[in-house]
Amino acid sequence: MKSARLFVAVTAALLLWTGFPTMPVAGQGPEDFAKSVSPMLTGTCAQCHNDRVASGGLSVASLNSSTSVVQHREEWEKILRRVQAGEMPPSGVAKPSDTAVRAFTNAIQAELDRADAAIKPDPGRVTARRLNRNEYSNTIRDLLGVDFRAEKYFPTDDSGDGFDNIGEILTVSPVLMEKYLNAAERIARWAISTELPPKPIVDEYHQRDRKIRRVDPSTVEAVHRVEFAGDYTVRFGLPGERAPDGKPVTLNLWMDGKLLTSKQIETKPSGLVYFDPYSEEEVKIYLPVGDHVFRAGFTNDDFVKSLPSGDLYNNKKNKFLNSIVFIGPFASTVEKESRKRVLLCNPESGRACVERILSTLARRAYRRPVTARETSALVRFVDMAKADGHSTERGLELAIQAMLVSPNFLFRIEHDANPTDPAQVHPISEIELASRLSYFLWSSMPDDVLLGLAESGKLREPGTLRREVARMLADPRSGALSSNFAGQWLETRNLDVAEPDPKKFPEWNPELRDAMKTETTMFFEYILKENRSITEFLDANYTFLNERLAKFYGVEGVAGPQFRRVELTAGQAAEQRGGVLSQASVLTVSSYANRTSPVIRGKYVLSNILGTPPPPPPPDVPNLDEATVGTTGSIRQQLEKHRADATCASCHSRMDPLGFGLENYDAIGRWRTRDGNFAVDSSGTLPDGRTFASPKEMRAILTSQLPQFSRTLIEKMMTYGLGRGLKNYDRRTVDNINRTLAAEGYRFQTLIQQIAESLPFQSRRGEEVAATP
Amino acid sequence: MIFTRKALPRRTFLKGMGTAVALPFLDAMIPAAANAQSSAIAAKPVRMAFVYVPNGIDMRHWNPGYEGELAELPRTLQPLVPFKKDITLLGNLTHNTGRALLDGAGDHGRCAGSYLTGVQVKKTVVDIKASVSCDQLVANEIGKYTRFPSLEVGLEDARQAGDCDSGYSCAYTNNLAWRSETQPLPPILDPRSLFDRLFGEDAALSPQARAQKNKYRKSILDFISEDTRALQGSLGPTDKRKLDQYLGSIRDIELQIEKAEKDNAQIDPHMEKPYGIPQDFAEHFKLMTDMITVAFQADLTRVVTFLVTREGTSRAYRELGISDGHHPLTHHRNQIELMDKVAEINLYHVQQFAKWVETLKASQEPGGSILDNSMIVYGAGLSDGNAHLHHDLPTLIAGRGGNFIKPGRRIVFRKETPMCNLFLTMMDRMGCRMEHFGDATGHLTGLDLG
Repeated sequence: MKSARLFVAVTAALLLWTGFPTMPVAGQGPEDFAKSVSPMLTGTCAQCHNDRVASGGLSVASLNSSTSVVQHREEWEKILRRVQAGEMPPSGVAKPSDTAVRAFTNAIQAELDRADAAIKPDPGRVTARRLNRNEYSNTIRDLLGVDFRAEKYFPTDDSGDGFDNIGEILTVSPVLMEKYLNAAERIARWAISTELPPKPIVDEYHQRDRKIRRVDPSTVEAVHRVEFAGDYTVRFGLPGERAPDGKPVTLNLWMDGKLLTSKQIETKPSGLVYFDPYSEEEVKIYLPVGDHVFRAGFTNDDFVKSLPSGDLYNNKKNKFLNSIVFIGPFASTVEKESRKRVLLCNPESGRACVERILSTLARRAYRRPVTARETSALVRFVDMAKADGHSTERGLELAIQAMLVSPNFLFRIEHDANPTDPAQVHPISEIELASRLSYFLWSSMPDDVLLGLAESGKLREPGTLRREVARMLADPRSGALSSNFAGQWLETRNLDVAEPDPKKFPEWNPELRDAMKTETTMFFEYILKENRSITEFLDANYTFLNERLAKFYGVEGVAGPQFRRVELTAGQAAEQRGGVLSQASVLTVSSYANRTSPVIRGKYVLSNILGTPPPPPPPDVPNLDEATVGTTGSIRQQLEKHRADATCASCHSRMDPLGFGLENYDAIGRWRTRDGNFAVDSSGTLPDGRTFASPKEMRAILTSQLPQFSRTLIEKMMTYGLGRGLKNYDRRTVDNINRTLAAEGYRFQTLIQQIAESLPFQSRRGEEVAATP
Repeated sequence: MIFTRKALPRRTFLKGMGTAVALPFLDAMIPAAANAQSSAIAAKPVRMAFVYVPNGIDMRHWNPGYEGELAELPRTLQPLVPFKKDITLLGNLTHNTGRALLDGAGDHGRCAGSYLTGVQVKKTVVDIKASVSCDQLVANEIGKYTRFPSLEVGLEDARQAGDCDSGYSCAYTNNLAWRSETQPLPPILDPRSLFDRLFGEDAALSPQARAQKNKYRKSILDFISEDTRALQGSLGPTDKRKLDQYLGSIRDIELQIEKAEKDNAQIDPHMEKPYGIPQDFAEHFKLMTDMITVAFQADLTRVVTFLVTREGTSRAYRELGISDGHHPLTHHRNQIELMDKVAEINLYHVQQFAKWVETLKASQEPGGSILDNSMIVYGAGLSDGNAHLHHDLPTLIAGRGGNFIKPGRRIVFRKETPMCNLFLTMMDRMGCRMEHFGDATGHLTGLDLG
């Protein structure tokens, strides 16, 4: 019964791969090659790419046969990409007709497809993956309802292929292991213990000690760890006073973005005589355990907007927040969320209940059914604690600690019947598939619905997978895709460490940085959730702004701190903004601290949008001297000089124009028409001769290369979803998804659905074991 | 290192981080476990540390124009003038494995990866491969005498999306120490974490409570070792390697617990628990090195790697009024104005280092100061960062390694002398005798000669 279902699944998975019925595989290989490829190869390419010159390190002398396409696959793939992108042949070389170029690329493509069709589809093999820091935090949240921020405790995860969830790269060190043990102790205590310290503790976050972050003149933020759930007095320090007619403001307290409480407070002088006016406000409130971000601020505070910046922290002119103090815990009647979740019955009632609690939790922690033996190994911790005179709950804490450092929790391990036979392709189990899906879409564990479907063998039933993916994308947990996937694809994670030069960019502050981040996050999530076409990443007539960012962009009519969709259909907004390459987040992370770099931005576009990253500069070539830009010549003039050198030109003629096209944005993404003493010239000529005169025109050109962009996005998303770098044999999957995507209007969810259904996502095989010499 | 909080003198050490007052030496600080071993290595600790600065050093202001006894020091070394008699400058040491050979661009990734491992690391962003670094070889050998076989420390957050250098994984630039050829050891950046690791999060627990905690930890470790072994049977070689790493880490912690049990007491660091990473670079540097000093003093470890900032870093030194990134600046194309800024940064680093040397020198123990019984290598994986040169790497050693080095001199070796010769020599002194290391051609001679 079970094996029959498995068989159907294998067949279904392999069926996707048995050929390309809609694909134009025309003609015979050698004839096609002779007719469409050879003439251009010998007539055009060989002018520079011959054995003598070998421009760019490539000679086509040995490539003039249809069999060479397979033998020298890497070269041919590169050739295909460069010609498809219009980068080759370069301007200055007599260009064959469009028809001839298309016939050329079609013939190579057909040759590659034919070669692929002849070999057995290969799903590749994913190495066991350790949970990275984000996955760990999210899994703890979903497992126990505890907010634990792993990035505060664990060392940075190394990344490979642009992402930090690559199995090969995620190592374990003794330091990390020690941190895992400490974290498990803390988390288990947080989840279960109701013990309170004998006396309340005071934790003070004061501007003086740089322990709070000033978000804007009316708002401060502190990251505070609540070790014990309970009631707390939260006290706010408010120095200063406003004019006698100062209006009351609303003081709010948020935790992790959620409003906890608010109260009206006075800002006018108290009537008492102070040299150093100061007042405090207090609220009493229940706080759950965990690492939380607390934010306190005035919301209806128009007064500060009218205040000159020199007076903002003058205690005779303004009243403002400068400290948050937590005093507690005091006993509370509120029951912890985690206890409700874990303690399904009264653990003192006997062994049956303890077993039920632990087996239920272990199933969720290990993301699979657990055996009776595993449960009884966990119950032993309860026995041990009780033998030492502790409560059953203390024993449960120990068992939870053990679960949280178990390899079954920390690693995602998939099994093969024969782990060293690379020929044995097999679908992964539905249980394994459930975790692949949840860590792909949520960076977290499967929920009960998903795991339940997998356990009952229904996940691969017709339509179920598709429905599950849609359900999961609609769930708020899919926000992980924007923070983890988009944050790394678009490199916007680096905003956290970006430090634009305060002398050149005095307006840069945490508030602006947050606003930039929010714009890109909301934009990405909108395209995802609304299932829009991915072309909108390149150019869209809308974005998401609040007042701060709208002012920064020079967009009128957006008031208030909350973000909303803003149309970019009229006036300068339509000219200046649209798509990720016009968003301040992207423009900031692709700049130096004190100036723009067309080279970095060009490389960014090539790598992240067009999928044709430039090769690293050859050894012994000094980096471009951009430091003197704006003094002895515009950056453009300097780069043009640089490109006069043929070695540099081969790559910089691809990179630089794409960077020039973004020169209207300064190093933090603000629109400009001058750079230092020079007028900005954002025109550019691409290697194939296409020209543009503004960022908007460059966007139009990129949009016309949608298939190439979509291929890049598929490759990035697949790398992220699989947790491994892509290999030659994955090209077929990528091509196939790209075709389906084109046929279905490039909808973003289609891309994700297709990856989830693809062979490498659904299957695995044994590992090649290198023969020992 | 058996001493209880009660027995400790109430003098404060490093309180307020302003001044460094040495922890007075106590006989009790000589580890009991070590006495049992009664070997010279156990009883008279010698320490080894590597302080790595990135992007090369402006050699105009590093190399003095003479050999032999140190006289006038160049500008970048000025902060070390008071310690002229404690340092040795080494010339002409080369890391050939940092060079391109056939691997093309990526000098930053390569030189950082090869610095302590002595091998040409694999050019990859995925299946990283280097070799066991010399500090770890030493830690393997003498780690049994101390609670921590080694410490890895750094100052710069490694958060980074994307490729680190021309096809070299960030693992090469984020880490100095390599425990195996595929397992780098990430440095601890947060002073608070380092504090917790060194002195224990439960410094406040009673001995009974601590004993119980250790017992529970050990049974948890037993439990997961069993889980791991159950899994390993059905895995392919790569997955097996992953779990071996994990199992190895478990074993390390088991050993740590056993050692701590034998020592039977916590160390009192006599400094306030740091709050987190301070904004000020110099303060961060000082906090970390203060803690390393205490760790040396209490013989918690003898092997340290200290990655000041990452190779290829673009950190801007605003505290010096320099808003350009460090790495872009080093590609100065010999423009004096930019080179001077690089030299400023080099000087700033040496200033911080000199403060540490001062602290080590002020910390007394039998047979001299901690500095006398240490070999602290300060150096870089590139000499000229502009041209990415891998020869005549800027290298100095502070300390005598316990009467092993006769400092106060500049020694210039034959051109292209492998850096690994130095490492091999140091390993030897640490009690880790190896025939080969990296591309070493032999031991360095002359360190101990006047």
